[in-house]
Amino acid sequence: MEKSGVKCLFTIVLLLSAMVWTAGAGPQGTLRVATTTMPNAIDLPMGSERNAHNVAWQIYNSLVWIQDDGKVGPSLADSWTVSEDGTTYTFKLRKDVKFHNGEPFNADAVVYTWNRGKQDSMQWKEKFAVAKSVEKIDDYTVRVTTEGPSPLLLRIMAEFWAIIPPKHHQKVGENGFLNHPIGTGPFVFKEWKKGDRIIFEANPNYWEEGYPKVKTLVFRPIPESSTRLAAISAGEIDIVTRLSSEEAKSLKNRKNVKLISYTVDRVYYITFNNLTSGKGKPTENALVRQAMNYAVDVDAVIDALFDGYGRPATGYVTPGNWGYDEEIQPFGYDPEKAKKLLAEAGYPDGFEMDFACPSGAYNNFEQVCEAVQGYLGAVGVKTNLNLMESGKYWDLEAKKQLPPLFGDSWSEATGEALPRLKGALGGKNANFSAWSDPEIDRLLEEIGKTVDDDARAKLYVELQRYMQKNPPFIYLYEPVAFEGINPGVKDYRPRPAENYYLKYTSIDS
Amino acid sequence: MQRYILSRLVQSAGILIGVLLIVFFMLQMTGDPVSLMVSRNASPEQVEALREELGYNRPVMVQFFDFFTDALTGDFGMSLRHRQPSLKLILDRLPATVELAATALMFALVIGVPLGLLGGSNPNSFWDIMARGAGLIGQTIPNFWLALILIVILSVHLGWFPTFGRNTWSLFGLTLPTRSVVLPAFALGLFTTGQIVRFVRSAVLEIKNEDYVRTAYSKGLSDRNIYMRHILRNASIPLISIIGVQFGYLMSGSIYIETIFSWPGLGNLLAEAIGNRDFALVQAIAFFTSLVVVALNLLTDVAYGLADPRIRYGD
Repeated sequence: MEKSGVKCLFTIVLLLSAMVWTAGAGPQGTLRVATTTMPNAIDLPMGSERNAHNVAWQIYNSLVWIQDDGKVGPSLADSWTVSEDGTTYTFKLRKDVKFHNGEPFNADAVVYTWNRGKQDSMQWKEKFAVAKSVEKIDDYTVRVTTEGPSPLLLRIMAEFWAIIPPKHHQKVGENGFLNHPIGTGPFVFKEWKKGDRIIFEANPNYWEEGYPKVKTLVFRPIPESSTRLAAISAGEIDIVTRLSSEEAKSLKNRKNVKLISYTVDRVYYITFNNLTSGKGKPTENALVRQAMNYAVDVDAVIDALFDGYGRPATGYVTPGNWGYDEEIQPFGYDPEKAKKLLAEAGYPDGFEMDFACPSGAYNNFEQVCEAVQGYLGAVGVKTNLNLMESGKYWDLEAKKQLPPLFGDSWSEATGEALPRLKGALGGKNANFSAWSDPEIDRLLEEIGKTVDDDARAKLYVELQRYMQKNPPFIYLYEPVAFEGINPGVKDYRPRPAENYYLKYTSIDS
Repeated sequence: MQRYILSRLVQSAGILIGVLLIVFFMLQMTGDPVSLMVSRNASPEQVEALREELGYNRPVMVQFFDFFTDALTGDFGMSLRHRQPSLKLILDRLPATVELAATALMFALVIGVPLGLLGGSNPNSFWDIMARGAGLIGQTIPNFWLALILIVILSVHLGWFPTFGRNTWSLFGLTLPTRSVVLPAFALGLFTTGQIVRFVRSAVLEIKNEDYVRTAYSKGLSDRNIYMRHILRNASIPLISIIGVQFGYLMSGSIYIETIFSWPGLGNLLAEAIGNRDFALVQAIAFFTSLVVVALNLLTDVAYGLADPRIRYGD
């Protein structure tokens, strides 16, 4: 007993001295992160979805970035000025930055990145095409101009304009760059075993003093959520995302896993259609649409299908978005009022309508749609629900060939709801829109050219109130994300769009 | 023999053409992938431009003709999602799938043949009950369910195996498997194990009542000699065809298992390609796995002749 006590003490002393010795010795340890898909490219304009972008941002920087407090802050640009008409941005670039291959970062790199990003072959080309021109003024000054005032320009740059080294990219071409991406970011690309793992190493010359904190960063794709659960339980991985509420519950008593949850910037909704299949249908009447919102018990849906984790949507602008209306309330469940409104609109006996939802795309969404169908039926709106394979579904959605009532969800990473609003309510000019309303159009156009933040916030509030009286959707819920991390992981700060920057994350071994 | 192989080759080519036809038109029926390839905020013009660039606005027959003629030259087009040649992606993932399928087959044989032999030679004994049980369980338990149970018990609780992924080690430039292959291979090989146990058991039961076995006994040969040289040898001919068919199944049937274990093989790639409507890649993988199955069947038929000199073809 005594002997083992001494041994134990000795070990502790040894460990402590090791810790003292290693403190301040630069990046430490290996952080293993699970992704839920296999990234198709470690490259912003080509990365097809959130996982690919999350991986990619660890090796790049943009001119600006979105800080933890949600505001736009400096990154590769020290400072910037905006012209009075709001169409010209002049950026002063940092002078001490080099790419991972030693190439200097300067204005040429910014111009080159933009020219490449806006090519037709790039998946996110419209995120680069928001700028009309990007010019080099001198080696460390860049001017970006837009067609009209563009309040979201900086946020879009922060999310997509990952600056790449021109010489390297020219030398190796698109294909070579795909296999060996290079940026200025906190981590350096080391190896990519396709479908298996992506390995980054700490950038020893990173321009932000003291970062990154971990020496090696490993991403491993685990598409199956129950396997992610097993992997974090077994301690084989340090961060897993996108667990279901049941899976999260099963982790609660595990000492070797810390559970994280937060509301995601994503809105689930059932949309009405007044462009194609919904023309001439009862849902063109705003009273009917209000009635259908009152008819659905969103709280009960959240309780039954998501263990109570979720927030009833108050509209299409979420609490984390700029200009969220603090006073707005969800419709709430009131079937009597729903019936009264239907009668008032001239449908005392209800009506019948086709309804579609995607299957296999979102957590429990099939059941959510079935519940909605039941609630609508209870007030006399009979719906014929068609659950469709999601790929086919989105194809039909983009071609505006879905029934007059259909379900979907929309996330947003820029911190403002404008892209989501424009996408779903842009009428004929937007792919995934089934709705057009002149008043909404007017407000969206105003918001799109109002650079002053407070004035824009007021417009958002006006829009939210209008969209509650004239709902283009049945508002459902904002989901809660569950993630599990190794308790030794410090300063992992996931954001509402399920994105993260791992430069300040550290791990105790 | 040569004529037989030639006619089988022609037959195989016919099957592969049929596969190409079915895969192409089934995918066409699900619409086109363009709307999934752009961001949700893209404009209708942008989508139309991409559709034109990728040729999805052309008549279906024209698209098929192009696809077909390219496929004949081994060109399955660029993966829409990965923007790399589909064939290259397949070849990148092939070693992992071969490792998994071969290990699964090895498990099935190592467990299945001895158990079937023991069961068949001593009906209603302990070993026979084990064999019958293994045959039943192997063929009825869904392998993806077993996979999850194995992960929970052997990986999470006991920590004997990694929960997911493929780890390898190198020796003299060779890539060799580690224990990370054990669980997925066992789960994947379960059905095949069941089939082999049942097959070997019933074959042994049947053959041991044959006249030549009685003759062998009356000659005074040892049990061991009789089982190895007379019974197993005769049971092995149909076993070869089972192995051939099953290896094809293991190569192509690992979508669930590869997804659950995050195994970086073809099944995983296919699941992802279907989810993303990566038409070129789906077509390429479907064709490739068909090719493997057809080739294995052909080899199996040829191998018959080697295992049993009495079998002659055609002439």
